[in-house]
Amino acid sequence: MAEYKMESLKTFNYDRPVIEKGYANQTLCIDISDFVISVKPVTEKMKNVFIGGKGFDLWLLWNAVNSTTKWSDPENAICIASGPMGGTPVYPGSGKSIVTTISPLTGSVIDSNVGGYFGPYLKFSGFDALEVTGKSLKDVVIFIDGIDEKVQIFKASGLPDDSYTLSAILTKYFANGKPRNISVVSTGPGAKNTRMGCLNFTWYDLKRKRARYKQAGRGGIGGVFADKGIKAIVARWDTVTTKTNNPANANTLKEVGRKHSREIVELDPKQNQMSQIGTTHLVHIMNDFDLLPTHNFQYGQHSEADNIGQEVFRRIFDPGYDGCWMGCTLACSHGVKDFVPLTGPYKGIKVFVDGPEYETIAGCGSNLGIFDPHTIIEMNFYCDTYGLDTISVGTSTAFAMECFEMGLINESHTHGMNLSFGNRLAALEVVHQMARGEGFGQIIGRGVREMKIIFSRDYGADPGLMQDIGMEAKGLEFSEYMTKESLAQQGGYGLALKGPQHDEAWLIFLDMVHNFMPTFEQKAEALHWFPMFRTWFGLCGLCKLPWNDVVPEDNKETPEPAKVMKHVEWYADYYTAVTGRQTTSDGLIRMSEAVYNFQRIFNLKMGFGKREHDDIPYRAVGPVKTVEYESRAERYDKQLVEKHNVDITGMTTEEKIALLRKSREKLYEKLKDAVYKRRGWTNNGIPTIETVNRLGIDFPEVLELLRAHGVES
Amino acid sequence: MIRVNGKKYSWYEGMTIKDLLNNFNKSHLYAVVRINDKHISRPYFEKTLIPDNSEVFLIPMIAGG
Repeated sequence: MAEYKMESLKTFNYDRPVIEKGYANQTLCIDISDFVISVKPVTEKMKNVFIGGKGFDLWLLWNAVNSTTKWSDPENAICIASGPMGGTPVYPGSGKSIVTTISPLTGSVIDSNVGGYFGPYLKFSGFDALEVTGKSLKDVVIFIDGIDEKVQIFKASGLPDDSYTLSAILTKYFANGKPRNISVVSTGPGAKNTRMGCLNFTWYDLKRKRARYKQAGRGGIGGVFADKGIKAIVARWDTVTTKTNNPANANTLKEVGRKHSREIVELDPKQNQMSQIGTTHLVHIMNDFDLLPTHNFQYGQHSEADNIGQEVFRRIFDPGYDGCWMGCTLACSHGVKDFVPLTGPYKGIKVFVDGPEYETIAGCGSNLGIFDPHTIIEMNFYCDTYGLDTISVGTSTAFAMECFEMGLINESHTHGMNLSFGNRLAALEVVHQMARGEGFGQIIGRGVREMKIIFSRDYGADPGLMQDIGMEAKGLEFSEYMTKESLAQQGGYGLALKGPQHDEAWLIFLDMVHNFMPTFEQKAEALHWFPMFRTWFGLCGLCKLPWNDVVPEDNKETPEPAKVMKHVEWYADYYTAVTGRQTTSDGLIRMSEAVYNFQRIFNLKMGFGKREHDDIPYRAVGPVKTVEYESRAERYDKQLVEKHNVDITGMTTEEKIALLRKSREKLYEKLKDAVYKRRGWTNNGIPTIETVNRLGIDFPEVLELLRAHGVES
Repeated sequence: MIRVNGKKYSWYEGMTIKDLLNNFNKSHLYAVVRINDKHISRPYFEKTLIPDNSEVFLIPMIAGG
């Protein structure tokens, strides 16, 4: 390994505040252009309106950028925060961080949630949020040392580019013999050379004696990080107990935390076994319900899906505790020990791979026509190591593969690479090229939206067809669920603030399988309540999995089983116990509404956030090509006859596709109307003056922005 | 004899998942059933036989993602 050198450029000493009821009550601001480090107070108004986590991030980012700021401008900020409950060891899933910035893919606000120790360590070091602006001409490492109460900026030279080795080196360098005290945020060379760079957040695995990784994957945040010249951000903190967060009522906190922990311990083994197999159980289930994306979302099922399902990964995962935060009983962050890649710089070398999770299996597997678990594991490893988002890599490569198979692009464009579905070596080579910034991988690394422009402009490909099959919305690649048969999930993706990512609204089972929301009004209500409640986890530093991935045995007897209200009430108790602010389950929704609407308005500020920006490609709504229609002809024919009262006698497939499309696109527009109304937005998808007044986000600049877009009271 | 969510249930030759669920209220909420370590989804409830001595878990499956 090459010798590396760390030269301290700046040291900022501070007095660490005592954490009060989950808050440090200040944020840390670092401008790395000239190494200015400062501390800003957190006001009561900030806590009342924005709560913490993503709310604080958005407020800091809003004040950092203007409406013309691009992702690579110095004033763009990377904001990282946990939340008032973040860092609680007694309650499962309480170690999340949220990262926000202006995205290279979407040009607007992106947020990405991630596990690992960084967010809690940042807070316990004295900062509810971190805001990094500016750009450094030389690679720097930022070190936030809560133990010695100092923030340092180092000039780093000779450090490896890849996240895998870099994080291990920095963990050792800063640990002072206690590696569990360290969490490293870093990216890799792929982030520099693509628009889909991720950030890796570490947590230290005491049993395996290594830094483990979770990813803030979506929207190219890693690219902003690399463009700023940040090599890594490291936080150091000491022992964590329930008292570290200084909760308002420790006894209530322990009581509710133990209830939820015990329930998971008792029920997870009976239900999805996530503590053993993570989210891999979804592969088989999605496949059975025709929801597993295959071949660029053309189909939802494949005969070889079992080759990449839970029964395989149960054997491959290294058994042991895999909690990405201390004390989490769900502990779903599994990994593969002693994996030996067949390609790339780690070829022939044993590595530990963190993952794969469902999204990676579907994105880098079935959606590429790849049903070999070892190829998926290798893609997972290199994406993490290179700092690439496995979802955008998968969905973008799937689009390029379909274009290749359809002849829209050919080997003269791909530099001789055969990009047929199922070509495992080509898929891996694409990832390596992304990291090196070379070849056709560099083009794919620009994302689906830009590929559509390049293929049309430079290669003469049909732009209309690519618009239909290119699975992006708002510039972000779709995550890995088929939505053709679930109108609610089409809305879950299309109406999501940052683009089609399932963390805002995963309604596909509730809608399609359980039929919980047959009417438009019910779908609109679901597209209000679920995004709001899911948003709330990101305000507080929490993981949503304990909420509804383990379900109480009596849940089905409750009036609204989809909401798992017993857990929602526990979360209200948890919030009250930590912050001392009395709330109820309805109160949690109101907290989110303010932040959610503020983010929608932030999109408006950046030139988006209107009805037209909620459009989705037709592939997400229905069959684009005759082969898609004909593969499920019985289903579509039946719908045309029974639902749309069409006499299909003598019709060609093309005619039936056109009719189905007309009906389905109309339904999607009708859904927009219903959701906007429920959310208190205009018919153009903009929050009304009444809505922002009600939510307390009626800041002068917000009102001015709304008026500029024709929204009056 | 089989166990369903930890409780004993009598078993008979040819018993399918659909047959079993007929004994439960609100069985439409179960989209997935686990027999020992294998998940079976609703489209296969009717044709999947439950072996004797199985551990069966009824999974609400309202989450994911």
